[in-house]
Order: sequence, then structure tokens, then C-alpha cells
Amino acid sequence: MKKLKNFRYISYRVFALGVCVLLFLLVLTVYQIVLLLQGEATLGAILLLVIVSNLFAGIFWWQIVIPYHRSEKVMKRFLDGYTLAEDKELSMSFLSPATHKELQRLEEILHSPQMFDLNKRQAQYLALQNQINPHFLYNTLESIRSEALIAGLESVADMTEALATFFRYTISKVENLVSVEEELENCKTYFRIQQYRFGNRLQLHIDYEEEEWQEIIHCRIPKLTLQPILENSIIHGTELKIGTGNLRIQFERTEKRLIIRISDDGIGMEEQTLLELNRRLRKDSSKVSYQQSETKGGIALANVNNRIHLIFGEEYGMHVYSIQGEGTDVEITIPAVMSDREIKNRGILQ
Amino acid sequence: MRKEVFRMERVTYKEQGITLLEDFNFNVLEGEIMGFIPFNSHGMASFLRLLKTNLPLDDGYIYYHEEIINSWKGAKQNSNRITVIQDKTCLVKGMTVADNIFVLRQGFKQHIIKPSVLNAQLEPFLKDIDMDLLGEAYAEKLTIFERVVVEILKGIVAGHKLIVLCEISTLISGNELKKLHKIMRHYAKQGHSFIYIGSHFEDIIQVCNRAVLLSNGRIEKILQPREMYVDNLFSLTKDYDKLVRGYLENKKAGSPKGKLVCKLYAEINSMKEPLEFVVISGECLVIQSLDNQIYHELLQILTNSRETAFYGNAWLGDKEFRLQELNTNRNFAVIQEMPTKTMLFTELSYMDNLCFNLDKRMRSVWARGNIRRSIRTEYAPILGDEVFNMTIEELSEGQKYQLVYTRILLQKPKIVFCIQPFKGADMKHRMYIWELLEKLLEKGIAVVILAVNLADTLSLADRLICIDKNKEQIEYLQEEFAALPMLAPWLYLYREDSV
Repeated sequence: MKKLKNFRYISYRVFALGVCVLLFLLVLTVYQIVLLLQGEATLGAILLLVIVSNLFAGIFWWQIVIPYHRSEKVMKRFLDGYTLAEDKELSMSFLSPATHKELQRLEEILHSPQMFDLNKRQAQYLALQNQINPHFLYNTLESIRSEALIAGLESVADMTEALATFFRYTISKVENLVSVEEELENCKTYFRIQQYRFGNRLQLHIDYEEEEWQEIIHCRIPKLTLQPILENSIIHGTELKIGTGNLRIQFERTEKRLIIRISDDGIGMEEQTLLELNRRLRKDSSKVSYQQSETKGGIALANVNNRIHLIFGEEYGMHVYSIQGEGTDVEITIPAVMSDREIKNRGILQ
Repeated sequence: MRKEVFRMERVTYKEQGITLLEDFNFNVLEGEIMGFIPFNSHGMASFLRLLKTNLPLDDGYIYYHEEIINSWKGAKQNSNRITVIQDKTCLVKGMTVADNIFVLRQGFKQHIIKPSVLNAQLEPFLKDIDMDLLGEAYAEKLTIFERVVVEILKGIVAGHKLIVLCEISTLISGNELKKLHKIMRHYAKQGHSFIYIGSHFEDIIQVCNRAVLLSNGRIEKILQPREMYVDNLFSLTKDYDKLVRGYLENKKAGSPKGKLVCKLYAEINSMKEPLEFVVISGECLVIQSLDNQIYHELLQILTNSRETAFYGNAWLGDKEFRLQELNTNRNFAVIQEMPTKTMLFTELSYMDNLCFNLDKRMRSVWARGNIRRSIRTEYAPILGDEVFNMTIEELSEGQKYQLVYTRILLQKPKIVFCIQPFKGADMKHRMYIWELLEKLLEKGIAVVILAVNLADTLSLADRLICIDKNKEQIEYLQEEFAALPMLAPWLYLYREDSV
């Protein structure tokens, strides 16, 4: 019954037709062999039939069945929530010009600056939670700082300055890609603010190989990649821990990749939560991330991961390792690019 | 800037709908020795297969030298230039070492092979690693250590930049392991990378730069160089740790002072002095062979294989036996290496396997069904009633271990010789074996463990005897374990006590 239902689809009919032709050629070959045994056919005719059958089977398999399966796999992944892969081989596997155009249009929408903007804006909202006129905010913060300095409250002045620097970077800096140096500076500013709250209970360590450092700091990464993860590590990791919490940002550079690892020795997460989180990160989580509650700590990670996917492709992204009670490591892998021109999908950044 | 030799990026691999690897994400850098500590064996075989061959992935990407070699979209080639060394050799028997290394190499095109040329080519490689080995030696004549080194050389000569060593520490002696570590470090300095799979963090920590902890086909954590210290793993092995601590505390309260059970005297060709020891009831004695040759000779004595002639006696109370009789006397029992594979008979039923050694204790066990029925009634609550209706193949690994050890319990020997009891077992099963061995000791049975690698044995041991080629045997009592000049699993418990 299921097989009959499948015949609603053209693909099944084409496949059945191919099998029928092959069977027909096979029967014909057997018939010719029988004739040969009776002395009524020539060996040449049989050989010709065998060659034609093999040729047909080969073409049918390599040119129709395999590309069709590849195209099906891509569609299935897309329906599962993955982004559409850009692959030359896949462009050879589309069913018809119309479906090809259809998919191209879909891809355009998914990889459009508007889509990217949506993700970026979400990151900004996460940092701000509401829209405040930036100039009004900076001026107010500057006034608070002045008042604090006059009153001799240096810590308040310092904190206000850090907050203003942080907002300036988060809201006013318009570039989509920034250098590691700038992003790291923003992390340090954010950490300075958090330290007023946690004091010595929170420590930040930055690890890198000395000889690689100059190449690392000039690498381009999406703006607000590190800070949301650092924030997550504090809120969901070390804040709930008794004793000193250690946060660590580790940079590693290979020939083609930049690997950033943000670790904490906080409370970690349950195996099932980790599994769900990594599954979510594997797929395009733009829809899911809106539905998640912020307390689950998934939005920031999903958002950063989405932007990495959109800019650099699906091969790059984020992975989370965690052991309950031991801490969490978030590993980000992105291509090591020194200039925005090196990015394949740079149209999205405009 | 370091080069990346191998990377698995969020790889998910399924076989027959079962997820064997999920979100597998790690990289190996040039010249790096990466340790792998699997807490259970789920997905490990698939992982090794994926390293060698590009099987269809469900998701993710695999890179070799930063070039994609396999992904969910498909693979460019079938096999990878990666050497995987396991307990089974990949060397061809009947061929010499030089032939195995050079002639069987991919791209070897000479039609006339001159052994002298090949041997001369091999010599600098052997000199480089200070290895005393002949190029003309046949593969089947090599010791396990030599075989492992030849396989490494084969990979190096073939230009494989990544070499995977799987559970090698259970195959070779402590001295050989040190040499192997030296060879690995030597090639790592030259830019070759290694994946070193082992069950014990103490073993991994001696040679690896980083370590991957995995369980159920998922990577739980990657330990960075700064995290490579023994204390770091305690929290991950909490349950096992608790078990052992409890056992040691109980033992401290009342250490075993049973009566003398057995005395053994054996002349071993490769030892300067004969091996001699006594063991009392309920005592666990570990004999660690630091040399593989001695280990094999001891193995022959215990398993009664007659490859070499040996002389020795055993005394059970006042009765004297020849060592050749060990295997036939039911007061002695031997649990062989990987018993789930070597001691179970798949064509026999569960009950037949269970009662296999019961004939001396209950002569009519095979004739009278009521004895077997009462055994079933007695043991069903412990073993589970369902196992009696299962075939051996249907049993889980844990149930197989339980069957082997319960068979020994039923036999009620005075002394049990266990050959590398923890070999090949993952963390979950190691805990299980540990509990089963503890049960034997509780029943007052003396346990003698023969090991090349201490593994978990130190957690049970009352005494340790280290034997080495042409050296005298050294005996350590439990109080002296803290001062052992080695890094072995569970040693920290004794060191904690001594502080």
C-alpha cells in the first residue's frame, strides 16, 4: 500500500521506469543467449546488448540515482532545520530549472543581510534588553562619572566609564566584523563591570601562544561573539558556584582556522541539557532561539552560532563541552581571515 | 603557527539507526600526542573505522591536513592516510620486517626487490629510535612491543602523519611502555601526531599533551595541557573512587589474616632467581611482570601450554603438586585474559557454562537435573532469571563477566589466578570486574593477579611483587604502596593516606 502511495511522486515513477528498461534489456540478453545456444544469434549481438545494458545502468545510477539522493539529503537536512549548503556538486542535482530557481531564491532569503541583521539586532537587544537613545545614555553616564569624580568616588567613576565603553562598542560600533583585539577589549570591559559585583570571586585568564598572538589579534570575527558567551559562563556557570570562579579565554591559530575556547569551572550542565544544546547548535536555530527562555542560556549561544553559519558557512560554528559540577567549555571554530575581503559571503555584511 | 593534522567537526555517525558517535568534535595538531580515555566502549570501534575509512556520515565534517576528506555530503576517497595500531597485527606473516615496511607501502613500484637494500634503508630508522631489531626478522617472530614499533615505522615510512595506538599499554610491559613513549615523543618532535587510546589517565598523562574524555560516543571534555594532572580525573570517576575508598577503609579496620593457602615455586628461564611466593586465604597478591618474556612464561605455566619446558611446584596446605597439574586441580582456578571471549562456550547453554567446573564438587551435576534446578533457583535473584534462557551471544558484556566469575565462585577453589583481569574492559565494566573480584576475596578465596600493567589491580592488592628480567623480585606490602616508584592508577589513595 505504501509503495502504491509512493507512485504519486514523479521520482518513484522515473525510478520504476529505469528499472523496467534495465529488466527489459536483461530479458533481451537472456533471449539472445538462448538463441545463440540454438545457433540462431551471433556473439556480437549479445556483446552489444551487454554493453548497452551496462552503459544504461551506469548512466542511470551515476547521473540520476546518485544526484537525486544527494538532492534529497540536502532537502531533508533543510527540513530538519539546517541551512542550505553551498556546494558545486549539489547544483548539478536539482530536479528542474524551476526547482533550482526556487531553491536559489530561498537561499537568497536565508543568506540575506536582512536575515543577518535580524540575528545581529537580537544580539544587541540581548545586551541592552530595551532601546535607549545612545547619545542620551552616553551623556547621562558621563554626567554620573563627573559627579562621582567630584564626590571622590573613584570606583563609581571607573565603573561608569567601563559601562559607557561597553555600550559604545555594543550599540554604536556599526561594523559586523571586528578584530579579535577589539572583541577581547570589550570582554575585558564587560568583565571589569562584573568584577564590581563579584569582586575576587571571579577571575579572568587569557591564554595564547606568544608567537601566534600578533596573527591572532588581527583576525576578523563577528562583533559580539565572545562577550555573550562570557556573560553566559558567568550567569549560568560561575555565579552559582561556591568559591572562586575561573573564566578562561583561550586562542589558538592554525593555518586555516582560529579556535577560541571560553571555559569556566562553574556548575556545568546535565548531560541531557548539553545534548539538546549541541543538537540545537548543529541546526539552524534562528526559529528555535526566539522560543527559548533566556534562563536556559541558549539564546546567546544560538545567536552567535547563527551569525557564524551565515557569514562563514556551516562548516564552522560552535560546540559545547560540559561535565556537571566540573565546568563548561564553549569552542568556536572560524576561518582565520585578516580582512573582510577574504570572506566568501561578504554580501551579507553590507 | 601550528598546523592541524586532523579534525572531526561535529561528526554524527549512525549504523542501522543507532547513533554511535554524536557531535564528535576535536582536533589534533602537528606534533601532538592526544590522549583518548573512553569511559565505555560505545562508538569506539566506529571511531577507529572512521579514521581509516570514509564511511557515510550522518552529519559533520572530517579534515586531514585542513582539507576536507569526509562529510555528510560524501567523501572524496575511500581510505585515509592514517595508521591504526590495535591488539591485532596488520603485518603480513611470512614476510620480513623490511618487506612489511617498504614493499607493502602504497606506491612501491619496484619489481626486483633486494633485501639488502631494504635492510640498509631500514637501519637509519631503527638507529634513530635506538631499536635493536633485524630487518630480516619475520613478522610472526616479533614480540608484541617489536610488532607495535614496526607498525609505527610502517606508518612513518608511508608518510602517515597521524598514528593511532589503541590500548597498547595492556599489551606490553612497563619497561617497554617507557620505550614506546620515548619513540612517540621522538616522532612527535619530527611533526608526526598520535592519538593514544588508553583506559587510565595515569598512563595517558605520562605521554600526552591533551586528553579527550568520552562516553557513550560523545566527547565530554577535552583536557588542555594545564589540566593534565592526576587530581583532575577524580571527580569524573567519583563512583569508582567511592567504591575503592570504601573497600580500603573496611580493609584497614580488619586486614585479612587468613591461613596459608598456597606456596608456589617456579623456575622461569628469563628470571635470575626462581619465582617464589606464598598467599593466604582472602588475600590479593598482584604479580607485575615488567618484562613481556617473563609474563609469557608465567602465562604458559598458568594456562599449562607446553611451548617451553618449565619446572616448579605448588603446595596447597601440605599437599604438593607439580605446576603442570594446576589446570586440572579444581582447588586452583584460572581466569584468563579477556574471559568473556576466551572462557565462554557459545555452543553451550548458560547453565552448562555456569556449571562447567562443578564436576569435582558435585559429581552428579550433569546426571541430575534437580542440582541444576536448585542452582538456578539459588542464583536467579543474583544473576537474573532471564539470563538462563539466553544464548551466550545474547548476553551483555557485563552478564558475560558475571557468568565467568560466578562459575569460579561455584567451583569454590582455594586460589584463583587472574590474568590481566581489567584488560580490554571500559570504565563501567572495570568497576564491575572489581566488584566481582572483591566477592571472591570476601569468600576467602586467595586471588593472584598476573599483570603487565597494574591498571586497577592496585586498588585491590594486599601485596605487590614486581619481577623483571635478570633481576631479583621486589615485594611491596600495602603500607609501602605510597612509595612505589611509578605512576599507577589508585596510587593516590595510598599517598593520601601516608600524608
